[in-house]
Amino acid sequence: MDDLPLQKIQISGPTLASLLQRFSSSPGDVDGLLFGRVTHIAATTFADDDPTTTVAASSSFDSPTLIATITSFICSNSNSTFYDSAGRLNLLSLRRICSDNQTLSLLGWFSGRRKTPLRPSMRESAVTSSLSSKIQFAFQVENSPKSYTLSPCVFLLLTTPFHDQLIHTHEYRAYQFRLSTEFFEPKTLDVVNIGPAFRGHYGAFCPNSQFPMLPCELRVSSSMAEDGNCESESLKSMKRVSEDQRVLDMYAEDFDVGRLNRLIGSDAANYTGELEDMYKKMLAKLEGLARLVEKSSARVLEQENHNMKLRCRVAGLE
Amino acid sequence: MAINTVPPLIAAQLNYLLSNSPLPINVEQMWSGSKHHGLLDRFTLVIPFCLDYIRWDVIYNALYPLAAPDIIFGPEDESFRPYHVGGGDGDLKSPRKSLSDWNCKDPTWLLSLILELRELYMTYQRKRVGEVDDERLKFELSTIVPREGIEMYMRSGIEKTEEVKFAVPLLGVDINKMVTGCPWRHQQKIFLEVIFPVGRKYRHAPSTPRLKLVASPELKALFSTEDFRLPPWLDDMCMAEYLPILEGLLQSQIVDAVSSIDVRRKFIVALAPLFGRPVEADPVFCRKVAFLTSSGVFTFLVHFSLPLQFPKQQPVLMLQSSQHFNPSGAPIKSPVITEFPWSSTWESSEMAERFFDFLVEECLNFKKYCNESLLQQR
Repeated sequence: MDDLPLQKIQISGPTLASLLQRFSSSPGDVDGLLFGRVTHIAATTFADDDPTTTVAASSSFDSPTLIATITSFICSNSNSTFYDSAGRLNLLSLRRICSDNQTLSLLGWFSGRRKTPLRPSMRESAVTSSLSSKIQFAFQVENSPKSYTLSPCVFLLLTTPFHDQLIHTHEYRAYQFRLSTEFFEPKTLDVVNIGPAFRGHYGAFCPNSQFPMLPCELRVSSSMAEDGNCESESLKSMKRVSEDQRVLDMYAEDFDVGRLNRLIGSDAANYTGELEDMYKKMLAKLEGLARLVEKSSARVLEQENHNMKLRCRVAGLE
Repeated sequence: MAINTVPPLIAAQLNYLLSNSPLPINVEQMWSGSKHHGLLDRFTLVIPFCLDYIRWDVIYNALYPLAAPDIIFGPEDESFRPYHVGGGDGDLKSPRKSLSDWNCKDPTWLLSLILELRELYMTYQRKRVGEVDDERLKFELSTIVPREGIEMYMRSGIEKTEEVKFAVPLLGVDINKMVTGCPWRHQQKIFLEVIFPVGRKYRHAPSTPRLKLVASPELKALFSTEDFRLPPWLDDMCMAEYLPILEGLLQSQIVDAVSSIDVRRKFIVALAPLFGRPVEADPVFCRKVAFLTSSGVFTFLVHFSLPLQFPKQQPVLMLQSSQHFNPSGAPIKSPVITEFPWSSTWESSEMAERFFDFLVEECLNFKKYCNESLLQQR
């Protein structure tokens, strides 16, 4: 693992907003994991001299310009989800949480606590240093000429000011934990917003859930019926078709997989209409999923309230 | 849930800490960390360290009462890491053990955690001081460390110079035991505070450290550190040489202070045949005594206040009438009387007689004073 400094940490506006929302709506302290990627930005050295003779050019290879981008997070509504009171990591639960996010790397974690000073606490230091020394969570830096691996060393701290204020409601600071010095280095947290002025910032962003690879040429019903020898093959291909339909149903509602061939190739004369239709069906699917999430959220909330009552009873707070 | 109450489990641990701590730890403020409820689950502890105080925030979560608290250290102590990273489960001294086996129902755990962390903090400061690149300091450290109980602290002093402060406990004797009937709850101690400036610009100047004698507050009934003159710190002296000189002087003065209790007691005893049994007296340190006496029909109290340097320094008198009251209902008192015949060479019986004679005259003046005050009130 390399111990390289990050130049800055980026986070998209919606991600930070939803992070703050989770923190402010939770009754107690929260913590969670941050996912994203670290990319290497080629340093632009506008030197008049021949690049091979200047020292500046070679120094860019010594300390590459790295930018960490936080694209998503997982937040639990409580403290100590993947670590214990002494700050030791619970590797099993950590791996379980991370296994759902295969495409993104674990950049670090965050902690939110109300009305406390804005600096890492004893337990947070313990957890961050344990996390950044775990090789199994190290990841590759993207876009870099040399191969660099970093460990999850980003720590985002969220607090609220001591006295309740109307305008200034939250404070946050992002740190990079450097293994070599065991020091929390504060880094600027760039918020990347939506809008034409910020489009260039989205260079490091790429889709999380890509559309699956599906075959667009299906001539199942017509050709297979002619040849009796191909009965076993037709069974196989029917299985394949239903499999593809199942995959497509995860992304769109009620869109027949056979219509995919109208999107490309020779039959794609009316592809805009088809594409719009498919997009409509994808939105419908999203809506259905959102409703499902709402219902399950309500049940989770019920259960959480029940748990809280039990906890209060144990603590003698009633 | 009531507003602004402390959850019972947290309250139990905090109360135990406050009443059983060997050091005077205080709570500076308490506040709530949860969104809706007014449950106070966070507080700042002010912990004495190296003759100064360090402030640590203890963070509990009222909604998760079974969990161990988290602690936020001071802003200058970012590199203080009380646990061991990467190592195994650590030795028994590591707070990791007490944190991972946290038993929320046991009220003693918070105190033991704080004391453990304080020990580790002491080690951390010692390490920091040892890393300072100053030859003189390294020499001092090597000669002074065998002493027990020294605390040191590195801080940036005024004008961004770094300073290293040592708090050296003096006198291995138990002062509490030297005083018969001692009422002190804590062990009284005297410390020498030594502050060395650290930094390049001081290398050429002869760096005499700043010295100050600090004692626990209750000791001033017996001995005043402000009146004690520190022996001079000669050039090229080091702490290992200075401390024995200081301790010798201090020891003799403490012994004198203890024996002066008896001198004061003798004086009070000598007053009794003339003034009667005292109404109030301080039996342990013999600093104050009050008698009820009368001259004719005028009854009044005589308060004697004996200084630590008695009999070299004269006592102070004050008279209080039991028959005259001011508008708010308090008895009229005379101003403090310091002008009276006095000599420190007299025997205590003679001192008592002289006081008696003086008061026979003075009480008439006092009676006049009280009557005049009453007239003024009307």
